[in-house]
Order: sequence, then C-alpha cells, then structure tokens
Amino acid sequence: MRARHLALSGLLAGLLCGGAILHGWAAAPPSFQELEESLTCQCGCGLTVHSCNHLQCDSALPLRAEIREQIKLGKSKEQVLAHFADKYGEKILSSPTRTGFNLTAWVMPFALVLVGGVFVVLVVVRWTHRRPASPGPGAKGAAQAPSEHQKILERELEEFES
Amino acid sequence: MTEVGSLTLAVGLVLAAYGTVVALAGGWQQRRDLIASAEHAAFACWGLALIATAALLHALVTHDFNVEYVAAYTSSTLPLNYIIAALWGGQKGSLLFWLLILTSITAVVLLQNRERNRDLMPYVNAVLMAIAVFFFAMLVFITPPFERLAFTPPEGRDLNPLLQNYWMQLHPPSLYLGYVGCAVPFAFAIAALITGKLGDVWIRTTRRWTLFAWFFLSLGNLFGAEWAYLVLGWGGYWAWDPVENAAFLPWLTCTAFLHSVMIQEKKNMLKVWNMVLVILTFLLTIFGTFLTRSGVISSVHSFTQSGLGPFFIGFLALSAAVSLGLLGYRLRLLKSENELDSLISRESAFLFNNLVLVGIAFAVFWGTMFPIISEAVRGVKITVGPPFFNKVNAPLGIVLLFLTGVGPLIAWRRAGWQSFRKNLLPPLLAGLASGVSLAALGMRSLWALTSFSIGVFVLAGIVFEYYRGVRARQAVAGENAAVALLHLIGKNRRRYGGYIIHVGVVMMYFAITGTAVFRQEQQITLSQGQSFELGGYTLRYDGVEQESTPHIAYLRAKVALAQDGRDIDVLKPEKRFYKKPEQPTTEVAIRSTLSGDLYLVLGGFDEDTKLVTLLAYVNPLISFLWYGGLVMALGTAVVMWPAAVPVREPRTVRLRAPEPAVVD
Repeated sequence: MRARHLALSGLLAGLLCGGAILHGWAAAPPSFQELEESLTCQCGCGLTVHSCNHLQCDSALPLRAEIREQIKLGKSKEQVLAHFADKYGEKILSSPTRTGFNLTAWVMPFALVLVGGVFVVLVVVRWTHRRPASPGPGAKGAAQAPSEHQKILERELEEFES
Repeated sequence: MTEVGSLTLAVGLVLAAYGTVVALAGGWQQRRDLIASAEHAAFACWGLALIATAALLHALVTHDFNVEYVAAYTSSTLPLNYIIAALWGGQKGSLLFWLLILTSITAVVLLQNRERNRDLMPYVNAVLMAIAVFFFAMLVFITPPFERLAFTPPEGRDLNPLLQNYWMQLHPPSLYLGYVGCAVPFAFAIAALITGKLGDVWIRTTRRWTLFAWFFLSLGNLFGAEWAYLVLGWGGYWAWDPVENAAFLPWLTCTAFLHSVMIQEKKNMLKVWNMVLVILTFLLTIFGTFLTRSGVISSVHSFTQSGLGPFFIGFLALSAAVSLGLLGYRLRLLKSENELDSLISRESAFLFNNLVLVGIAFAVFWGTMFPIISEAVRGVKITVGPPFFNKVNAPLGIVLLFLTGVGPLIAWRRAGWQSFRKNLLPPLLAGLASGVSLAALGMRSLWALTSFSIGVFVLAGIVFEYYRGVRARQAVAGENAAVALLHLIGKNRRRYGGYIIHVGVVMMYFAITGTAVFRQEQQITLSQGQSFELGGYTLRYDGVEQESTPHIAYLRAKVALAQDGRDIDVLKPEKRFYKKPEQPTTEVAIRSTLSGDLYLVLGGFDEDTKLVTLLAYVNPLISFLWYGGLVMALGTAVVMWPAAVPVREPRTVRLRAPEPAVVD
C-alpha cells in the first residue's frame, strides 16, 4: 500500500511539475530571439529562423522583419505565433502547439516516463516482497529480531558491496 | 570490372539465400556438413562483397563516368580521398558499403566461434545471412551500383560539396560499423531464442560486440556533430534533424542494454527486457537506414528519394514480427526469479536509468515521427524542430545525469543509511557546494546550475570511488598510488573503464550546457580596418584574399583577433565556390581553447562597397564535447581491453575486490 501511495504521489508530483514547466514556458515574456527560435526557416535549411545562416535568405530575412513588426505591436508570444501560424500554416512553428492533438506530442514522452516510473516502483516493491524479511536458513525467529551477528553481517555486506 | 561487380552481387545474393536456408537446416537437423557449408557460403559472401566494393572503387578512381554512380558522385578533379569517400556518399555505394561491413563482421564472428557456441552458431549465421540477403537483393534489384548510362558524360557531377570534409570520411564508416555491429548481439539473441539456450552464454559472447557497436555509434554521432559544426556554419553541432535522431536512437537503447545486462549477469533477472532492448536496438538501426533513404521525412542528410522505402519497411516489419514472435514463444523460458532486496539499491537505479534512456529514445522517436502522425490524424503538416527536442529532453537528460552519479555509488541489494553516508553524501555535498559557488559567482541559469552541480556530483563520486579503491589496494598490497591505480583498473576494467566513460559523458553535458546557455553571437557588416568585440575578443577585419584551383575558388576574409589588447591570432573564414556542382559553401574559422571556441563565418562580401558581413559565435566549453568523446573512447578501450591470462596470485597479496567483480 505504501509503495502504491509513493508511486501515485510521484506520478502526481511529476504531472504537477510537468504542468508547471509547460505553463512557465507558455507564460514567458517574448523576446526577438525567442520568437526567431519558435519559427522554422522555409528556405529548406531545416533550421529555425534564428539559426538559418543564409544571410540573404529569402525566407529568414522577411520573417525576421515580420517578427520585429509583431513585437512592436505589443503582442504576447502566443499572439505572435498565432499570427504566423494563421498566415503561413502550422508548419512554420518550430515546435507543435500545446493545444488539441498537438498536446500529445508534449505529454506522451513525460507520461511514458512517469507511468514507466510508477510501474518500475510497483514491480520492484513486488520483487522485494518475494524475499524473506530476514534471510538465513534455519534462523528461527530471525525475522522478528535480527541477532547481533545478523546486524553485523548486514552492515558488513552493505559496506562490502557498495 | 563493373561487370564483375554486378556478377558478384548476383552470386552473393544466391549464396546468402543458400547460406540462410542451409544454416537453419543444419542447425535444426544438427548436421555438421550443412552447418559447415553455410559457413563457407558466408565466407564466400564476404569475398564477393569485397570484390564488388573493389570494383566500384576501381570505377570511381578511374573516372568511369559511364557508370551512373561514378558520374553522379565524383568528377575528374575531385581529390582521391573524397573519391574514396564517394563510396558511401551516395545511396547505392553506401548500401554496398553496409553490406561489406556486414559480411566482414559475419566472417569475423564465425572465425571467433569456430570452437565454441556450436549450438548457437548455425542460427547466428542464418540471421546474419538473412540480413545480407536483404542488402544483396536491394543492390541487385533496386539500387544496382554498377548501372551504366546510355552515354558517357565527359565529366561527373561531383560529390556534394558539403560532404567534401574530413569528418565525412570518418562519420559514415563509424556510424555503419555501429549500425552493423548491433546485428551481432541481435543474431545471438535470436539464436538463443530459437535454440532455447537462454542462459547468459549469448550475452557473454556478444559483450564485446555490443560495446564495439556502441563505441562506433558514439563515435559516429560525435563525428557527425563535428561535421555539422564545421560545415553547416550555423554555430551549432546538433539540430535534431530526423537523420541525426535516427542515429541517436539505437545509441540510446544500446546504452540502456549495456547497463541492464549487468543485472542479468549479476542477478539473472530482466531476461525479457534485455531481449527487448537488443531487438529494439537492431530494429532502430534498420529504421535509421530506412529514414535516411526513404525520403519519408525531409532532412538535410537524406539521400535522394528512391523506391527503397517500402522494401525497408517490409524488412523492418518482418524482422520485428519474427523476433518478437520468437520472444513471445520463449517467454515462459525467459521468466526469471525476480528478487530484489530493496527499492533503494543499485539494481533499482539501473532500472530507472533504463527507464529514462528508453524514455528519451521514445521522446526522440515520437518527435521525429510526429509530423507524419499529425498529417495522418489531422491532415495538417507540422514541424517538430530543435525547441521541442530541447525542452522535452533537457529534464530527462538531467535526471539521467543524476542517475549516472547515483548508479555506481549506491549499494547493490540494499542501500542503508551507512552506505548513503559513506558513498553518496560526500559527492552530493561536492555537487551542492559547486552549485552554491557558481550561483555566488553570478550564474543565474537554473538549467546550468543544475547541470553543472549534478555533473560535479557525478565526477566527485567517480574520483571518490577511485580514491577508495586505490587506498584499499595500498593498505592491503602495499603498492604505491600509481601502481595501485593501474592494478585497480586492471582487476576490474569493466567497472573502472565504465567510470572513465561516465567522466566523458559528464564532460559532454558540460559542453552541451555551456553552448546552450551561455552562447554569444553577433552578425556585423564591416569595412576594412573596422573591428568589433565579442566574448572578450576584439575582431578586426583586415581585407579579403582570393585563390582558385581547378576544383574550387576561394574567398577568404582576414580577421585579426586580439585579447586584452594583444594580437593573438588571424582567422580566415572562407566562402568556397565549387566549380563542378557550381555550389557555394561556407568554411568556418575557429579559434579553439579549452574554455570555448570563437567561431567565425564569412557571410558575404560586396565587391562594390568592399564591405564584409561576418557572423561570430562564442561557444563556451564546446571543446569538452570533443575531449569528452576522447575520454569515452579511452574508457571503452579500457573496458574492452582483453583480459590477461589469469595468473594465481600468492595468497599473501591476493586482494578482495571492493565489490564482487563483474569481470570481463
């Protein structure tokens, strides 16, 4: 039961942290570079507008100018990105939006690790319970009260194996 | 020669198919004559692949432009080293090169196991030959490398200028060695599943091959990063391009396997999981090869789109179905007495390490494939670029780094307070102290503080482990520190070599953190004599120089570099204009120091105004990425170093290892 509570608490904490991180990212104030990095250059270089190093790039240059215009309008990051997505299509965004089906892109990796983590904890606890509480053939009553020798042995084993 | 090449491929296909069938029949009926015949077929396939490769190289070197491949990827002015690199510079040649490595590795595996593993070897041979059948078939029917043109062009189209770089001569061969090397543990795993001999023999036999594959996958990825850094000219080294991701995926699962296999060896657990990881790693190598060649996802690395995609998908599906089918069939035999003493133990740390590695692999796979999934589900094409991968993988990477530190320090079986205080607390305090110090010195990035602190924690743990081991040897054997250190490593190369690899990993984390968080950059247009400052450097533009060879025309900007008022260097970033494909490229100039690189790109030069545009980047700690790779290579060499013939030590100096050794 304790293990389950532990696992579920871990899952909840992970989800909260993940949510907080996602929210933090979304609420971050926009900067020119941040917006450049949020858009993909359409020249075929496969890089973001920020990383495209084709100085006379037909795509990156006008996009940078447009980013500056949008910033001047006092828009938030989300509003600027929505403007670009409306105008050029979603493929201009360098990462999926965090709405609708696209949310699965963000959630799935963390969900897999969290669910996997819970699974590992539960499995390990189950495997742990298969062992007798205190090993030692023929050691009657050892489970209830480990002898002094038992304690010394455990301590030495711990030190030896670490 | 090309006719010989075509013929050898056709004969090779027949022999590989024969070898597969006869090896299976020989193994099934336990007939030595059939097993031997299949092995001879494998050796013959190796010889035939060698002849075919030699034939293609001959055509390349002699400029036989009537051969379509030669005309497409070389020219008469291409330097010899790049003519040889053209062997893997195009689709057809690279598949032939893949086949050559596969058949060579098969021959070595068969020779290694002449006297052992005789019950497994027919099936190992059959699996490797079956993979060879696929590649022979591709080369014979779909992408014949010796295909001739209806006419002979006077000149070839030349190798893509982006590939005319030193690192491109090393990056693909390393990656292919890694990819193909993964086929060996896979073949042994399948052989173990077929025969039902699911003990640890196949694992012990393939340990070095797995390390070999992992080592070359690591190098391949690193060389690719170095190539991207030098050639693409955007100041970075990893853009999460689909093809980069495809090479990274098997590395992740192979790394997970290298860790989890230790639990199988030590506790006879996780047999199913290890099988899954071996199969997954192999499938991901085929997936990577498919992704590069199918054109399914656009990438700067992709070969020209061809009709190979469906065949690779078919092969991938067949391999997955057979291997997972066999796994399901043997599931009952693979069940082990899973027993652990505690959740807080090294075994658990390894399980979490596996979880995070596989989690990162999934995140990379998911992000790479999401554009296709999105198009299939919503009918909308989207981009999944570097920001997504960085945001998703950064927290997982930090957790992985932490586990890298915890894993070696936490006790096997059960870690109590004594063990925590003795092993984990000092490095944890060291990591914490480093974080506090960096914050006090003005570092404000939470990511950087976390990464550096945990990195120091890992390093402190490793130093502590070495220190403890050396002290133990000194106390018992009376050796001096240097001798004790050498003996310590020699007695347990796997453990202490592994620590060296971890040091390399931490160095890479430092580099990734440094470049991601503290990078500085500036784009500026200057006239001659003007200067600007960046990252403590003063850069003065001193004019341009031009040079022309039959192959390339060069335009170089001369930039004098000063630091603290003292001239220290002259950098010459280039624009190159390749005459045959008539393509301009950028050649960056780098001043590299341990603390970071000054990376200079010549953006453009206006002939009329004589103004030059430069892009300058300061990439802190990036050298740690390359040196980290070297350290990883050193660690792998230590782990793989062959064991000396055991000599009985006199009782008086015999030592107990600090840990029950998992010796190589």
